[in-house]
Amino acid sequence: MKPGKHMDCQNRKENSPLKGKPLGRREFLKSTGKVAALGGAALASGCGTGLIGSNEELRLRWKEYFKGNYQLMTQAEKDETIKRLERLAKIDRGVDIQISSKGPIEGVLFGYAFNVTRCEGFMECVSACVRENNLDRKTQTQYVRIFEMEYGQMNPESGNGKYFHEVPVEGHFYMGVQCFQCESAPCIKACPTKATWREPDGLVVVDYDWCIGCRYCMAACPYWGRRFNWNTPVIPPEQMTKKQHYLGNRLRGKGQVEKCTFCVQRTREGRLPACVEACPTGSRIFGNLLDPKSEIRFVLQNKKVFRLKEDLGTDPKFWYFID
Amino acid sequence: MTTPSLQKYLFLIIPALILVLSVAVVFSGEEGVTQIYRKAIDPFDDERLVDSVLSLPEDTVLVKERYQGGPFWTETRKDKMERFQCSQCHSNKEVTIAQAADIAHGDIVLDHGGKNKPLSCSICHHEAERDLLVTEKGVKVDMDHSYQMCGQCHFRQNKDWVGGAHGKRVSYWAGKRVVKNCTSCHDAHSPRFEKRWPEAYSPPVNE
Repeated sequence: MKPGKHMDCQNRKENSPLKGKPLGRREFLKSTGKVAALGGAALASGCGTGLIGSNEELRLRWKEYFKGNYQLMTQAEKDETIKRLERLAKIDRGVDIQISSKGPIEGVLFGYAFNVTRCEGFMECVSACVRENNLDRKTQTQYVRIFEMEYGQMNPESGNGKYFHEVPVEGHFYMGVQCFQCESAPCIKACPTKATWREPDGLVVVDYDWCIGCRYCMAACPYWGRRFNWNTPVIPPEQMTKKQHYLGNRLRGKGQVEKCTFCVQRTREGRLPACVEACPTGSRIFGNLLDPKSEIRFVLQNKKVFRLKEDLGTDPKFWYFID
Repeated sequence: MTTPSLQKYLFLIIPALILVLSVAVVFSGEEGVTQIYRKAIDPFDDERLVDSVLSLPEDTVLVKERYQGGPFWTETRKDKMERFQCSQCHSNKEVTIAQAADIAHGDIVLDHGGKNKPLSCSICHHEAERDLLVTEKGVKVDMDHSYQMCGQCHFRQNKDWVGGAHGKRVSYWAGKRVVKNCTSCHDAHSPRFEKRWPEAYSPPVNE
Protein backbone atom coordinates (compact mmCIF):
# COMPACT_ATOMS: atom_id res chain seq x y z
CA MET A 1 0.00 0.00 0.00
CA LYS A 2 1.21 3.48 -0.74
CA PRO A 3 1.90 5.69 2.30
CA GLY A 4 -0.46 8.34 0.96
CA LYS A 5 -3.41 6.02 1.07
CA HIS A 6 -2.59 4.97 4.58
CA MET A 7 -2.62 8.59 5.64
CA ASP A 8 -6.08 8.95 4.17
CA CYS A 9 -7.38 6.20 6.36
CA GLN A 10 -5.98 7.75 9.45
CA ASN A 11 -7.22 11.20 8.58
CA ARG A 12 -10.69 9.94 8.10
CA LYS A 13 -10.70 8.36 11.50
CA GLU A 14 -9.48 11.57 13.12
CA ASN A 15 -11.98 13.75 11.34
CA SER A 16 -14.80 11.49 12.35
CA PRO A 17 -17.57 13.40 14.13
CA LEU A 18 -17.80 10.63 16.71
CA LYS A 19 -14.59 11.60 18.35
CA GLY A 20 -14.80 12.97 21.88
CA LYS A 21 -18.60 13.21 22.05
CA PRO A 22 -20.69 11.51 24.67
CA LEU A 23 -23.00 9.03 22.93
CA GLY A 24 -26.66 8.40 23.42
CA ARG A 25 -28.21 5.09 22.44
CA ARG A 26 -29.68 6.54 19.25
CA GLU A 27 -26.41 8.13 18.11
CA PHE A 28 -24.54 5.00 19.00
CA LEU A 29 -26.72 2.80 16.78
CA LYS A 30 -26.56 5.31 13.96
CA SER A 31 -22.79 5.55 14.13
CA THR A 32 -22.23 1.79 14.38
CA GLY A 33 -24.21 1.45 11.17
CA LYS A 34 -21.93 3.97 9.53
CA VAL A 35 -18.79 2.32 10.86
CA ALA A 36 -19.98 -1.04 9.61
CA ALA A 37 -20.58 0.42 6.17
CA LEU A 38 -17.16 2.04 6.20
CA GLY A 39 -15.52 -1.14 7.40
CA GLY A 40 -17.24 -3.20 4.74
CA ALA A 41 -16.24 -0.75 2.08
CA ALA A 42 -12.65 -0.69 3.29
CA LEU A 43 -12.64 -4.50 3.32
CA ALA A 44 -13.83 -4.68 -0.26
CA SER A 45 -11.67 -1.94 -1.62
CA GLY A 46 -8.48 -2.08 0.40
CA CYS A 47 -8.56 0.77 2.92
CA GLY A 48 -10.51 3.54 1.43
CA THR A 49 -9.50 3.58 -2.23
CA GLY A 50 -13.07 2.69 -3.08
CA LEU A 51 -14.36 5.61 -1.10
CA ILE A 52 -12.10 8.01 -2.88
CA GLY A 53 -12.58 6.21 -6.19
CA SER A 54 -15.84 5.94 -7.99
CA ASN A 55 -18.97 4.54 -6.49
CA GLU A 56 -19.10 2.10 -9.38
CA GLU A 57 -15.72 0.59 -8.58
CA LEU A 58 -16.71 0.13 -4.96
CA ARG A 59 -19.91 -1.65 -5.98
CA LEU A 60 -18.04 -3.90 -8.41
CA ARG A 61 -15.41 -4.87 -5.88
CA TRP A 62 -18.01 -5.53 -3.23
CA LYS A 63 -19.91 -7.89 -5.53
CA GLU A 64 -16.71 -9.55 -6.72
CA TYR A 65 -15.65 -10.18 -3.14
CA PHE A 66 -18.82 -12.06 -2.31
CA LYS A 67 -19.32 -14.01 -5.53
CA GLY A 68 -19.62 -17.80 -5.51
CA ASN A 69 -17.39 -20.57 -6.74
CA TYR A 70 -17.38 -20.81 -10.53
CA GLN A 71 -18.58 -24.41 -10.41
CA LEU A 72 -21.73 -23.37 -8.56
CA MET A 73 -22.56 -20.32 -10.67
CA THR A 74 -25.49 -20.25 -13.05
CA GLN A 75 -24.84 -18.91 -16.53
CA ALA A 76 -26.46 -15.60 -15.53
CA GLU A 77 -24.09 -15.27 -12.59
CA LYS A 78 -21.12 -16.10 -14.81
CA ASP A 79 -22.16 -13.41 -17.25
CA GLU A 80 -22.49 -10.89 -14.43
CA THR A 81 -19.07 -11.59 -12.94
CA ILE A 82 -17.51 -11.48 -16.39
CA LYS A 83 -19.06 -8.08 -16.98
CA ARG A 84 -17.67 -6.89 -13.64
CA LEU A 85 -14.20 -8.28 -14.33
CA GLU A 86 -14.09 -6.66 -17.76
CA ARG A 87 -15.10 -3.34 -16.27
CA LEU A 88 -12.57 -3.64 -13.43
CA ALA A 89 -9.77 -4.42 -15.89
CA LYS A 90 -10.72 -1.23 -17.71
CA ILE A 91 -10.64 0.76 -14.45
CA ASP A 92 -7.44 -0.82 -13.07
CA ARG A 93 -5.33 -1.23 -16.15
CA GLY A 94 -7.12 0.68 -18.86
CA VAL A 95 -7.48 -2.31 -21.16
CA ASP A 96 -10.52 -3.61 -23.01
CA ILE A 97 -10.69 -7.35 -22.53
CA GLN A 98 -13.24 -9.99 -23.46
CA ILE A 99 -13.64 -12.87 -21.03
CA SER A 100 -15.30 -16.07 -22.18
CA SER A 101 -17.09 -18.63 -20.03
CA LYS A 102 -17.31 -21.22 -22.79
CA GLY A 103 -17.90 -24.66 -21.36
CA PRO A 104 -16.35 -27.96 -22.40
CA ILE A 105 -17.19 -29.48 -25.78
CA GLU A 106 -19.13 -32.73 -25.63
CA GLY A 107 -17.16 -35.85 -26.49
CA VAL A 108 -13.76 -34.23 -26.00
CA LEU A 109 -10.92 -35.29 -23.72
CA PHE A 110 -7.77 -33.34 -24.38
CA GLY A 111 -4.48 -35.14 -24.66
CA TYR A 112 -0.96 -34.01 -25.41
CA ALA A 113 2.16 -35.69 -26.71
CA PHE A 114 5.71 -34.41 -26.75
CA ASN A 115 8.35 -35.73 -29.13
CA VAL A 116 11.64 -35.86 -27.23
CA THR A 117 13.54 -36.86 -30.37
CA ARG A 118 12.39 -33.90 -32.37
CA CYS A 119 12.49 -31.04 -29.86
CA GLU A 120 15.59 -28.95 -30.43
CA GLY A 121 15.29 -26.58 -27.49
CA PHE A 122 14.49 -23.34 -29.32
CA MET A 123 12.05 -22.44 -26.52
CA GLU A 124 9.61 -20.67 -28.78
CA CYS A 125 6.83 -22.49 -26.93
CA VAL A 126 7.91 -20.85 -23.67
CA SER A 127 7.68 -17.29 -24.93
CA ALA A 128 4.46 -17.99 -26.83
CA CYS A 129 2.92 -19.30 -23.63
CA VAL A 130 4.02 -16.25 -21.64
CA ARG A 131 2.41 -13.94 -24.20
CA GLU A 132 -0.79 -15.95 -24.60
CA ASN A 133 -1.47 -16.57 -20.92
CA ASN A 134 -0.62 -13.09 -19.60
CA LEU A 135 2.09 -14.41 -17.32
CA ASP A 136 3.93 -12.11 -14.96
CA ARG A 137 6.84 -10.41 -16.72
CA LYS A 138 8.38 -9.18 -13.48
CA THR A 139 9.18 -12.56 -11.95
CA GLN A 140 9.26 -14.23 -15.38
CA THR A 141 6.66 -16.84 -14.60
CA GLN A 142 6.54 -19.69 -17.12
CA TYR A 143 4.18 -22.62 -17.44
CA VAL A 144 6.28 -24.48 -19.99
CA ARG A 145 9.84 -25.42 -19.22
CA ILE A 146 12.40 -27.04 -21.50
CA PHE A 147 15.41 -28.88 -20.15
CA GLU A 148 18.56 -29.86 -21.95
CA MET A 149 19.37 -33.41 -20.94
CA GLU A 150 22.19 -35.75 -21.71
CA TYR A 151 21.39 -38.99 -23.44
CA GLY A 152 20.31 -41.53 -20.87
CA GLN A 153 18.89 -39.02 -18.42
CA MET A 154 15.23 -39.37 -17.61
CA ASN A 155 14.57 -36.91 -14.83
CA PRO A 156 14.00 -33.23 -15.71
CA GLU A 157 15.19 -32.32 -12.22
CA SER A 158 18.73 -33.09 -13.37
CA GLY A 159 18.25 -31.27 -16.69
CA ASN A 160 19.62 -27.86 -17.49
CA GLY A 161 17.06 -25.19 -18.30
CA LYS A 162 19.40 -22.22 -18.40
CA TYR A 163 21.53 -23.35 -21.31
CA PHE A 164 23.23 -20.42 -22.91
CA HIS A 165 24.48 -21.57 -26.28
CA GLU A 166 23.17 -22.39 -29.72
CA VAL A 167 20.90 -25.41 -29.84
CA PRO A 168 20.63 -28.30 -30.49
CA VAL A 169 23.82 -29.68 -28.99
CA GLU A 170 25.28 -33.03 -29.94
CA GLY A 171 24.64 -35.78 -27.41
CA HIS A 172 21.69 -34.04 -25.78
CA PHE A 173 17.94 -34.11 -26.04
CA TYR A 174 15.33 -31.63 -24.93
CA MET A 175 12.43 -32.39 -22.66
CA GLY A 176 9.53 -30.08 -21.97
CA VAL A 177 7.44 -30.13 -18.82
CA GLN A 178 4.25 -28.30 -17.97
CA CYS A 179 1.00 -29.22 -16.24
CA PHE A 180 0.08 -32.74 -17.36
CA GLN A 181 -3.66 -32.39 -16.63
CA CYS A 182 -3.74 -35.61 -14.61
CA GLU A 183 -6.96 -37.63 -14.63
CA SER A 184 -6.40 -38.39 -10.97
CA ALA A 185 -4.79 -35.12 -10.00
CA PRO A 186 -3.27 -34.85 -6.53
CA CYS A 187 -3.50 -31.06 -6.58
CA ILE A 188 -7.30 -31.24 -6.69
CA LYS A 189 -7.40 -33.47 -3.64
CA ALA A 190 -5.08 -31.12 -1.75
CA CYS A 191 -7.09 -27.96 -2.29
CA PRO A 192 -8.97 -26.98 0.88
CA THR A 193 -11.33 -24.51 -0.81
CA LYS A 194 -12.31 -26.46 -3.94
CA ALA A 195 -10.73 -23.72 -5.99
CA THR A 196 -9.29 -26.23 -8.44
CA TRP A 197 -11.05 -29.06 -10.22
CA ARG A 198 -11.12 -31.25 -13.31
CA GLU A 199 -13.37 -30.05 -16.11
CA PRO A 200 -15.30 -32.65 -18.16
CA ASP A 201 -12.88 -32.21 -21.07
CA GLY A 202 -10.04 -33.25 -18.78
CA LEU A 203 -8.52 -29.86 -18.06
CA VAL A 204 -7.54 -29.11 -14.48
CA VAL A 205 -8.48 -25.50 -13.89
CA VAL A 206 -8.34 -22.94 -11.08
CA ASP A 207 -10.96 -20.43 -9.98
CA TYR A 208 -8.41 -17.78 -9.10
CA ASP A 209 -10.86 -15.87 -6.93
CA TRP A 210 -11.43 -18.89 -4.72
CA CYS A 211 -7.75 -19.59 -4.30
CA ILE A 212 -6.57 -18.61 -0.84
CA GLY A 213 -2.91 -19.00 -1.75
CA CYS A 214 -2.12 -21.81 0.68
CA ARG A 215 -0.04 -23.56 -2.02
CA TYR A 216 -1.00 -27.04 -0.84
CA CYS A 217 -1.60 -27.91 -4.50
CA MET A 218 1.94 -26.92 -5.37
CA ALA A 219 3.25 -29.20 -2.65
CA ALA A 220 1.01 -32.01 -3.86
CA CYS A 221 1.94 -31.79 -7.54
CA PRO A 222 4.75 -34.22 -8.42
CA TYR A 223 5.32 -32.54 -11.79
CA TRP A 224 6.05 -28.99 -10.66
CA GLY A 225 3.04 -27.83 -12.70
CA ARG A 226 1.78 -24.89 -10.67
CA ARG A 227 2.97 -21.32 -10.21
CA PHE A 228 2.35 -18.85 -7.40
CA ASN A 229 1.93 -15.12 -7.77
CA TRP A 230 4.14 -13.48 -5.19
CA ASN A 231 3.11 -10.11 -6.53
CA THR A 232 0.33 -8.74 -8.70
CA PRO A 233 1.37 -9.85 -12.20
CA VAL A 234 2.95 -7.10 -14.26
CA ILE A 235 1.87 -7.21 -17.89
CA PRO A 236 2.39 -4.28 -20.26
CA PRO A 237 -1.11 -3.43 -21.57
CA GLU A 238 0.02 -3.50 -25.19
CA GLN A 239 1.36 -7.05 -24.78
CA MET A 240 -1.72 -8.36 -23.03
CA THR A 241 -3.84 -11.05 -24.68
CA LYS A 242 -7.27 -9.46 -24.62
CA LYS A 243 -9.24 -12.56 -25.54
CA GLN A 244 -9.45 -14.36 -22.22
CA HIS A 245 -11.25 -17.16 -20.46
CA TYR A 246 -12.51 -17.15 -16.88
CA LEU A 247 -10.62 -20.37 -16.13
CA GLY A 248 -7.67 -19.55 -18.32
CA ASN A 249 -5.62 -16.48 -19.04
CA ARG A 250 -7.67 -13.81 -17.30
CA LEU A 251 -5.80 -11.50 -14.96
CA ARG A 252 -4.66 -13.06 -11.73
CA GLY A 253 -3.95 -11.30 -8.48
CA LYS A 254 -1.31 -11.43 -5.82
CA GLY A 255 -1.38 -14.59 -3.72
CA GLN A 256 -3.13 -16.77 -6.29
CA VAL A 257 -1.95 -20.02 -7.81
CA GLU A 258 -2.09 -20.47 -11.55
CA LYS A 259 -1.24 -23.21 -14.01
CA CYS A 260 -1.25 -24.35 -17.60
CA THR A 261 -4.77 -25.11 -18.85
CA PHE A 262 -3.77 -26.28 -22.34
CA CYS A 263 -4.90 -22.73 -23.25
CA VAL A 264 -8.56 -23.31 -22.41
CA GLN A 265 -9.46 -20.04 -24.14
CA ARG A 266 -8.13 -21.43 -27.42
CA THR A 267 -8.76 -25.16 -27.25
CA ARG A 268 -12.45 -24.89 -26.48
CA GLU A 269 -12.79 -22.99 -29.71
CA GLY A 270 -11.07 -25.72 -31.68
CA ARG A 271 -7.73 -23.91 -31.82
CA LEU A 272 -4.39 -25.35 -30.80
CA PRO A 273 -2.67 -24.29 -27.57
CA ALA A 274 -0.15 -21.48 -27.99
CA CYS A 275 2.85 -23.77 -27.37
CA VAL A 276 1.73 -26.24 -30.04
CA GLU A 277 1.14 -23.50 -32.55
CA ALA A 278 4.49 -21.87 -31.81
CA CYS A 279 6.61 -25.02 -31.95
CA PRO A 280 8.90 -24.75 -34.99
CA THR A 281 9.81 -28.43 -35.00
CA GLY A 282 6.40 -30.07 -34.67
CA SER A 283 7.37 -31.78 -31.44
CA ARG A 284 4.07 -31.01 -29.82
CA ILE A 285 0.97 -32.99 -30.71
CA PHE A 286 -2.40 -32.00 -29.32
CA GLY A 287 -5.84 -33.42 -29.85
CA ASN A 288 -8.96 -35.18 -28.71
CA LEU A 289 -8.27 -38.52 -27.03
CA LEU A 290 -11.84 -39.67 -27.64
CA ASP A 291 -11.50 -39.23 -31.39
CA PRO A 292 -9.95 -42.31 -33.04
CA LYS A 293 -8.94 -40.26 -36.09
CA SER A 294 -7.01 -37.64 -34.11
CA GLU A 295 -3.23 -37.19 -34.25
CA ILE A 296 -2.83 -37.88 -30.56
CA ARG A 297 -4.49 -41.27 -30.96
CA PHE A 298 -2.19 -42.05 -33.89
CA VAL A 299 0.81 -41.26 -31.72
CA LEU A 300 -0.43 -43.40 -28.84
CA GLN A 301 -1.12 -46.28 -31.18
CA ASN A 302 1.98 -46.18 -33.38
CA LYS A 303 4.77 -44.66 -31.32
CA LYS A 304 6.75 -45.66 -28.30
CA VAL A 305 5.22 -43.54 -25.58
CA PHE A 306 5.86 -43.06 -21.90
CA ARG A 307 4.57 -40.84 -19.15
CA LEU A 308 6.54 -39.19 -16.41
CA LYS A 309 6.35 -40.83 -12.98
CA GLU A 310 3.61 -43.14 -14.15
CA ASP A 311 4.01 -45.26 -11.01
CA LEU A 312 2.44 -42.50 -8.91
CA GLY A 313 -0.96 -43.29 -10.38
CA THR A 314 -1.74 -39.68 -11.23
CA ASP A 315 -2.70 -40.74 -14.75
CA PRO A 316 -1.40 -37.71 -16.66
CA LYS A 317 -2.78 -36.90 -20.12
CA PHE A 318 0.66 -35.93 -21.36
CA TRP A 319 2.81 -38.50 -23.13
CA TYR A 320 6.39 -38.34 -24.28
CA PHE A 321 7.28 -40.23 -27.40
CA ILE A 322 10.32 -41.03 -29.48
CA ASP A 323 10.55 -41.25 -33.23
CA MET B 1 -24.04 -82.21 12.35
CA THR B 2 -24.49 -78.70 10.91
CA THR B 3 -21.29 -77.20 12.29
CA PRO B 4 -18.73 -79.18 10.25
CA SER B 5 -20.60 -78.58 6.96
CA LEU B 6 -20.77 -74.85 7.71
CA GLN B 7 -17.05 -74.88 8.36
CA LYS B 8 -16.53 -76.70 5.08
CA TYR B 9 -18.57 -74.05 3.27
CA LEU B 10 -16.67 -71.28 4.99
CA PHE B 11 -13.42 -72.69 3.67
CA LEU B 12 -14.89 -72.38 0.20
CA ILE B 13 -16.65 -69.07 0.66
CA ILE B 14 -13.72 -67.12 2.04
CA PRO B 15 -11.29 -67.92 -0.80
CA ALA B 16 -14.06 -67.27 -3.29
CA LEU B 17 -14.71 -63.88 -1.70
CA ILE B 18 -11.02 -63.03 -1.77
CA LEU B 19 -10.83 -64.02 -5.41
CA VAL B 20 -13.86 -61.90 -6.36
CA LEU B 21 -12.54 -58.89 -4.46
CA SER B 22 -9.06 -59.14 -5.90
CA VAL B 23 -10.48 -59.39 -9.42
CA ALA B 24 -12.59 -56.31 -8.71
CA VAL B 25 -9.53 -54.45 -7.43
CA VAL B 26 -7.47 -55.43 -10.44
CA PHE B 27 -10.14 -54.26 -12.86
CA SER B 28 -10.83 -51.03 -11.03
CA GLY B 29 -7.08 -50.34 -11.24
CA GLU B 30 -7.28 -50.53 -15.01
CA GLU B 31 -9.70 -47.67 -15.16
CA GLY B 32 -7.79 -44.66 -16.25
CA VAL B 33 -7.26 -42.45 -19.21
CA THR B 34 -5.75 -45.28 -21.25
CA GLN B 35 -8.87 -47.35 -20.75
CA ILE B 36 -11.09 -44.37 -21.44
CA TYR B 37 -9.54 -43.55 -24.79
CA ARG B 38 -9.34 -47.17 -25.88
CA LYS B 39 -13.07 -47.51 -25.39
CA ALA B 40 -13.75 -44.46 -27.54
CA ILE B 41 -14.05 -45.83 -31.06
CA ASP B 42 -16.64 -43.55 -32.63
CA PRO B 43 -15.16 -40.72 -34.65
CA PHE B 44 -15.67 -37.26 -33.23
CA ASP B 45 -18.06 -35.11 -35.25
CA ASP B 46 -16.05 -31.89 -35.53
CA GLU B 47 -18.51 -30.03 -37.71
CA ARG B 48 -21.42 -30.56 -35.36
CA LEU B 49 -19.76 -30.21 -31.97
CA VAL B 50 -17.20 -27.45 -32.43
CA ASP B 51 -19.08 -24.35 -33.49
CA SER B 52 -16.11 -22.12 -34.16
CA VAL B 53 -14.38 -24.29 -36.74
CA LEU B 54 -13.36 -22.18 -39.67
CA SER B 55 -13.82 -22.99 -43.30
CA LEU B 56 -10.82 -24.23 -45.23
CA PRO B 57 -8.13 -21.57 -45.78
CA GLU B 58 -7.59 -20.64 -49.42
CA ASP B 59 -3.93 -21.59 -49.66
CA THR B 60 -4.51 -25.28 -49.13
CA VAL B 61 -4.57 -28.25 -51.43
CA LEU B 62 -6.16 -31.67 -51.02
CA VAL B 63 -3.51 -34.26 -50.27
CA LYS B 64 -3.48 -37.25 -52.59
CA GLU B 65 -3.28 -39.64 -49.66
CA ARG B 66 -5.79 -40.32 -46.92
CA TYR B 67 -5.21 -40.40 -43.20
CA GLN B 68 -7.13 -42.47 -40.65
CA GLY B 69 -9.91 -39.87 -40.71
CA GLY B 70 -10.27 -39.58 -44.48
CA PRO B 71 -9.12 -36.80 -46.77
CA PHE B 72 -6.90 -33.99 -45.49
CA TRP B 73 -5.36 -30.82 -46.77
CA THR B 74 -1.94 -29.27 -46.76
CA GLU B 75 -0.52 -25.80 -47.30
CA THR B 76 0.26 -24.83 -50.85
CA ARG B 77 3.78 -24.10 -51.97
CA LYS B 78 3.69 -22.54 -55.42
CA ASP B 79 2.10 -19.27 -54.33
CA LYS B 80 4.79 -18.77 -51.69
CA MET B 81 7.74 -19.25 -54.01
CA GLU B 82 9.41 -16.05 -55.05
CA ARG B 83 10.05 -16.82 -58.68
CA PHE B 84 7.46 -19.35 -59.70
CA GLN B 85 6.90 -20.21 -62.47
CA CYS B 86 10.30 -21.58 -63.28
CA SER B 87 9.49 -21.79 -66.96
CA GLN B 88 9.48 -18.00 -67.16
CA CYS B 89 13.25 -18.21 -67.46
CA HIS B 90 13.87 -21.88 -68.01
CA SER B 91 12.49 -22.23 -71.50
CA ASN B 92 13.85 -22.53 -74.95
CA LYS B 93 13.89 -18.76 -75.23
CA GLU B 94 17.06 -16.86 -74.58
CA VAL B 95 17.24 -15.18 -71.17
CA THR B 96 16.95 -11.48 -71.88
CA ILE B 97 16.74 -10.10 -68.35
CA ALA B 98 19.52 -7.67 -67.51
CA GLN B 99 20.05 -8.85 -63.95
CA ALA B 100 19.96 -12.52 -64.82
CA ALA B 101 22.97 -13.18 -62.65
CA ASP B 102 21.29 -11.60 -59.63
CA ILE B 103 18.11 -13.58 -59.89
CA ALA B 104 19.81 -16.87 -60.62
CA HIS B 105 20.07 -19.45 -57.89
CA GLY B 106 23.29 -18.38 -56.22
CA ASP B 107 21.50 -18.09 -52.87
CA ILE B 108 20.65 -21.77 -52.75
CA VAL B 109 22.79 -23.81 -50.39
CA LEU B 110 22.48 -27.47 -51.21
CA ASP B 111 22.99 -29.57 -48.11
CA HIS B 112 20.77 -32.57 -48.67
CA GLY B 113 21.64 -36.23 -48.85
CA GLY B 114 24.84 -36.34 -46.84
CA LYS B 115 28.43 -35.54 -47.69
CA ASN B 116 29.24 -38.77 -49.46
CA LYS B 117 26.27 -38.80 -51.73
CA PRO B 118 24.84 -35.29 -52.05
CA LEU B 119 21.78 -34.71 -54.18
CA SER B 120 21.95 -32.70 -57.36
CA CYS B 121 19.28 -30.47 -58.91
CA SER B 122 18.04 -32.94 -61.46
CA ILE B 123 17.39 -35.66 -58.87
CA CYS B 124 14.27 -33.75 -57.83
CA HIS B 125 13.66 -31.20 -60.60
CA HIS B 126 12.35 -32.28 -63.96
CA GLU B 127 14.91 -31.34 -66.57
CA ALA B 128 12.53 -30.60 -69.39
CA GLU B 129 9.43 -29.34 -67.62
CA ARG B 130 10.99 -27.00 -65.13
CA ASP B 131 7.78 -26.24 -63.24
CA LEU B 132 7.57 -29.81 -62.05
CA LEU B 133 9.47 -32.21 -59.85
CA VAL B 134 10.16 -35.78 -60.81
CA THR B 135 10.46 -38.92 -58.71
CA GLU B 136 13.01 -41.68 -59.15
CA LYS B 137 10.38 -43.67 -60.99
CA GLY B 138 9.86 -40.78 -63.38
CA VAL B 139 6.47 -39.67 -62.07
CA LYS B 140 5.96 -35.93 -62.44
CA VAL B 141 5.05 -34.21 -59.17
CA ASP B 142 3.48 -30.80 -58.70
CA MET B 143 5.35 -28.42 -56.38
CA ASP B 144 2.31 -28.28 -54.08
CA HIS B 145 2.53 -32.02 -53.51
CA SER B 146 6.16 -32.12 -52.50
CA TYR B 147 5.41 -34.77 -49.85
CA GLN B 148 5.34 -37.25 -52.73
CA MET B 149 8.94 -36.33 -53.50
CA CYS B 150 10.19 -36.36 -49.92
CA GLY B 151 8.32 -39.56 -49.13
CA GLN B 152 10.42 -41.53 -51.60
CA CYS B 153 13.36 -41.64 -49.20
CA HIS B 154 11.77 -40.36 -46.01
CA PHE B 155 8.98 -42.93 -46.10
CA ARG B 156 8.93 -43.27 -42.33
CA GLN B 157 8.47 -39.54 -41.85
CA ASN B 158 5.90 -39.58 -44.62
CA LYS B 159 3.88 -42.26 -42.84
CA ASP B 160 4.07 -40.30 -39.58
CA TRP B 161 3.14 -37.11 -41.40
CA VAL B 162 0.03 -38.72 -42.89
CA GLY B 163 -0.96 -40.12 -39.49
CA GLY B 164 -0.05 -37.04 -37.46
CA ALA B 165 3.12 -37.87 -35.52
CA HIS B 166 5.40 -35.81 -37.80
CA GLY B 167 4.75 -32.24 -38.79
CA LYS B 168 1.95 -30.19 -37.36
CA ARG B 169 -1.57 -29.05 -37.90
CA VAL B 170 -2.29 -25.49 -38.86
CA SER B 171 -4.01 -23.47 -36.09
CA TYR B 172 -6.90 -25.87 -35.34
CA TRP B 173 -7.08 -29.27 -33.70
CA ALA B 174 -10.73 -29.56 -34.76
CA GLY B 175 -12.46 -29.28 -38.08
CA LYS B 176 -11.05 -30.24 -41.45
CA ARG B 177 -7.49 -31.44 -41.02
CA VAL B 178 -5.01 -28.97 -42.51
CA VAL B 179 -1.34 -29.74 -41.97
CA LYS B 180 1.91 -28.04 -42.80
CA ASN B 181 3.58 -29.18 -45.98
CA CYS B 182 7.14 -30.57 -45.83
CA THR B 183 8.42 -27.35 -47.33
CA SER B 184 6.47 -25.19 -44.86
CA CYS B 185 9.06 -26.07 -42.23
CA HIS B 186 12.02 -27.53 -44.11
CA ASP B 187 14.10 -25.88 -46.77
CA ALA B 188 14.09 -28.53 -49.46
CA HIS B 189 17.69 -27.70 -50.38
CA SER B 190 19.09 -27.93 -46.83
CA PRO B 191 16.34 -29.56 -44.82
CA ARG B 192 18.02 -29.77 -41.43
CA PHE B 193 17.06 -26.93 -39.07
CA GLU B 194 19.84 -24.47 -38.45
CA LYS B 195 21.34 -24.15 -35.00
CA ARG B 196 20.24 -21.04 -33.22
CA TRP B 197 19.91 -19.37 -29.85
CA PRO B 198 16.99 -20.29 -27.63
CA GLU B 199 14.32 -17.64 -27.15
CA ALA B 200 14.09 -17.95 -23.37
CA TYR B 201 15.40 -20.01 -20.52
CA SER B 202 13.77 -22.17 -17.86
CA PRO B 203 14.41 -22.05 -14.15
CA PRO B 204 14.91 -25.45 -12.44
CA VAL B 205 11.74 -27.44 -11.86
CA ASN B 206 11.51 -26.75 -8.17
CA GLU B 207 11.72 -22.97 -8.48
